[in-house]
Amino acid sequence: MSSPRKARLEAAIVDAIEHPKKRNSLTRCMKRGRDSRSERLATLHGGAAFRQEVKAIKTRCIEQLPELQSRFIAAAEARGCQVYLAADGAEVAEICLRIAQERAFTQVSKSKSLTTEEIELNDDLQAAGLTVIETDLGELIIQLVGDKPFHLVFPSVHKMRDEVAEIFSKETGKPVPPDVDAIMKVVREYLRPIFLNTDIGMTGANIGIAETGGIVIETNEGNGRLVSSIGKCHICVMGMEKIVDTLDDAMMMVLAHPVSASGQLPTTYVTWMGGRSPLGVDGVERESHIIILDNGRSRMREDPAMQEALRCIRCGACMNICPTYGVVGGHVFGHIYPGPIGIPWTSEVHGLETAGDFAELCISCGLCKEICPAEIDMPLMIAEVKQRDAEEHGYPATNRMLMAAESMAKLGCTTAPLANWSLRQPWMREIMDRFLGIDKRRSFPAFDGQTLNRRFRKRARKLRGAAPNAGSARKVVFFADLFVQYNRGDLGMRAIEALEAAGCEVVLPKLQGCGYPYIGYGNLNAARDAALYNLARIAPYVEQGYAVVTPEPTAAYCLKIAWPKLLPYHPHAKQVAEASHEIFEYLLAQGFEGGANALGKRYGFHCSCHQRPLGAGAGVQAWLKARGAQVEFLESGTCCGMAGTFGMKAGALGYDLANAVGEPLFELFKGSGVEAVVTESSVCAIHLRDGTGLPVLHPLELL
Amino acid sequence: MQDALAREFATAFEAVRGVVHLVPTRATAAEAIVRILKEAGITSAAAAALPEGLQEALVAGCGAAGIALMQPPYLAADLPLSMDGPEAGITGMAFGVAESGTMAEVCDEDSVRLVSGLPRTHIGVVFASTLVPRLVDAAAPMRAIFQQYPKNVTVSFISGPSRTGDIELILTLGVHGPEYAHAVVITEEQA
Ligand code: SF4
Ligand code: SF4
Repeated sequence: MSSPRKARLEAAIVDAIEHPKKRNSLTRCMKRGRDSRSERLATLHGGAAFRQEVKAIKTRCIEQLPELQSRFIAAAEARGCQVYLAADGAEVAEICLRIAQERAFTQVSKSKSLTTEEIELNDDLQAAGLTVIETDLGELIIQLVGDKPFHLVFPSVHKMRDEVAEIFSKETGKPVPPDVDAIMKVVREYLRPIFLNTDIGMTGANIGIAETGGIVIETNEGNGRLVSSIGKCHICVMGMEKIVDTLDDAMMMVLAHPVSASGQLPTTYVTWMGGRSPLGVDGVERESHIIILDNGRSRMREDPAMQEALRCIRCGACMNICPTYGVVGGHVFGHIYPGPIGIPWTSEVHGLETAGDFAELCISCGLCKEICPAEIDMPLMIAEVKQRDAEEHGYPATNRMLMAAESMAKLGCTTAPLANWSLRQPWMREIMDRFLGIDKRRSFPAFDGQTLNRRFRKRARKLRGAAPNAGSARKVVFFADLFVQYNRGDLGMRAIEALEAAGCEVVLPKLQGCGYPYIGYGNLNAARDAALYNLARIAPYVEQGYAVVTPEPTAAYCLKIAWPKLLPYHPHAKQVAEASHEIFEYLLAQGFEGGANALGKRYGFHCSCHQRPLGAGAGVQAWLKARGAQVEFLESGTCCGMAGTFGMKAGALGYDLANAVGEPLFELFKGSGVEAVVTESSVCAIHLRDGTGLPVLHPLELL
Repeated sequence: MQDALAREFATAFEAVRGVVHLVPTRATAAEAIVRILKEAGITSAAAAALPEGLQEALVAGCGAAGIALMQPPYLAADLPLSMDGPEAGITGMAFGVAESGTMAEVCDEDSVRLVSGLPRTHIGVVFASTLVPRLVDAAAPMRAIFQQYPKNVTVSFISGPSRTGDIELILTLGVHGPEYAHAVVITEEQA
């Protein structure tokens, strides 16, 4: 990232941190969205299972898109619609203006359409003399002040009622009290004549259906119904990726979209138009024009790294959970498309350079992927965007260094006394802060004088080659990752001894770290190298029936999820994934009953983001409870903010943002009265210790 | 089965701030509608796409109650302005979805959409016999409708009153369309 870019981003973060009111309204909106989604999922038939269906439907329809598009066009034409293919925004504008000019139409009223926002269509239409009014309240508010959406579903969530009242009193010339009901009355009166006098009713389409040639418009306000029924002519601008095959496919989208956005089922109004109907009984035909927009979508479809983004159904759920978006909002974290999915979409439709301006805000926690109804792997796509951006601009120096954390850890380990001493010196931290970009306020765990592998070899020599449980049917490759390898070899040994107590024969091949920082900072090639290196050394064991066990959640995430995704054609990646386990889940499955007695202890459990898709730490919590401890799962609903090494970076785009994200979680822990926090993530542990002042334990310490 | 679905529909429709009236027959549906109108002090209403039998009963009921009731056919020349007047719109529904409290209105001329979309109060009439359990089950009746209308047709799913949360996420009803939404469910007579 070039430095003016970084400076802009940092200034925006500082500004967001300093404006808690705006931030709180956003956080409230996100939390509301998440909570009502989970409430709905609790009672919905099949719970969250619809996500697999949505993913399957969208994947199939994107694959078959050219065919579906032809069928859609033929069917829509059979229903009397005129269908156009537009390569980009300029072509859409040209088509719309031609339609308006040929009919001498001047009044356009619109219902919400992100696709027209993507191409900034209003600007072109207004420049040509048309009057264009957004009729969705949130869109109208931002149109009146010339703003961009702050949130996909709640575009004006950053505008408080007094501001909104002022906007409408300026627009109507009459005083409007800052009272929501009063504002609604004014809005209803303001928009009614606009609806009634519409020449062109313009809508987007949430879905196009090849089976019927119809489109689907979802709204809660009902403006989409009025715009599409009253307008003398109807224009629908639809992204080509919206086309699905059947009515059944469409019904699944009608369910998934509002459920994911806000827990609703379905939106208040869902308009299924198949052709355009006359206004009254005299049967005078009316026009419907459907413009199918490409604008980079065909290219995305051909790009294996980006095609998943086409599955997006624009529900906004990903921005309801993204930790850094929650601090800075959609004007900083976004261009026109805000939030997590905004990064790949911006890169594809508004250019890599624009996406690169805010891609650094993604700290690769992966939560967006876990909530997305189409199971889109945003973190991986964002890593790709960062990588492509780095090909232009290079990686920021600090990120480059942090990606190579393993070599530093190795060095720290070999020079442990010196390294540990220097890390305690304020002058050293000052230098590291200024020249390396490592925040001086961040504490670091000390390096161990020897690596775990060395300790293990030493023990083997002592045992004269008689490995415990040699020949046992339970065989384990221990995947240490960095923390127990270089910082806490003692904990690594305890883990190994616990596995041995459970009857396992344990081996420790010479492995590297899991390489997740490469994904986080956007060097997928290096991430693949790390995966290949490790897989080459693990796979021969797995072939002989070994399990792979790791104490670090992010390493388990790599083994089980990230590597098979990064290396889809690797001969062993999937097999290794299936053989991989988190340590406590594995110990429990082996009937392990050891460990310290924890009767009467009250712990607060923190689940790291990468642990969520693995079972959210169920294994370790069950083990702690079996030892007699009381365990409370405390969560803010999003990330703690540390995100690997992100929270070690100096200043706004690091330590400060990590703290702004973590604050609500710190408060939860501090207010809970637990005696210690327990987490398996070695990096979350640092952040929680710094942020809460409470003791933070790795469960291995309780073995 | 349909009884249970009607109850599920009622719970779901009321959860989205609608009001449900369970009635056995078309005749009692007409009575319920007139009562809704009277209690709201409504003196002008418009009807569209109502099932046979109900239309006639409603005309009689409104006449007796002094409520001006507009009826189809609606001429394009008078629209949309003629529909800006009535305080309530009453439309018949092709089917409903129990799980979500959804009513599906079908039309091949848009005056029906204006009757349900412009007035402040909307009353939908749906037969319990048409309720399907889940939203995904709606694909089948939708397929039948689209096949029945090979040219133009619009199906509107309606689940409660017009709502927005665009100002500070405060749930507000009736920003454009109906602020009050009623569902009259006919439980004994068949569609
Ligand atoms: S991975 Fe995390 S930080 Fe990155 S976009 Fe997704 S939710 Fe936001
Ligand atoms: S990426 Fe997924 S979660 Fe985000 S808006 Fe699209 S569909 Fe919704």
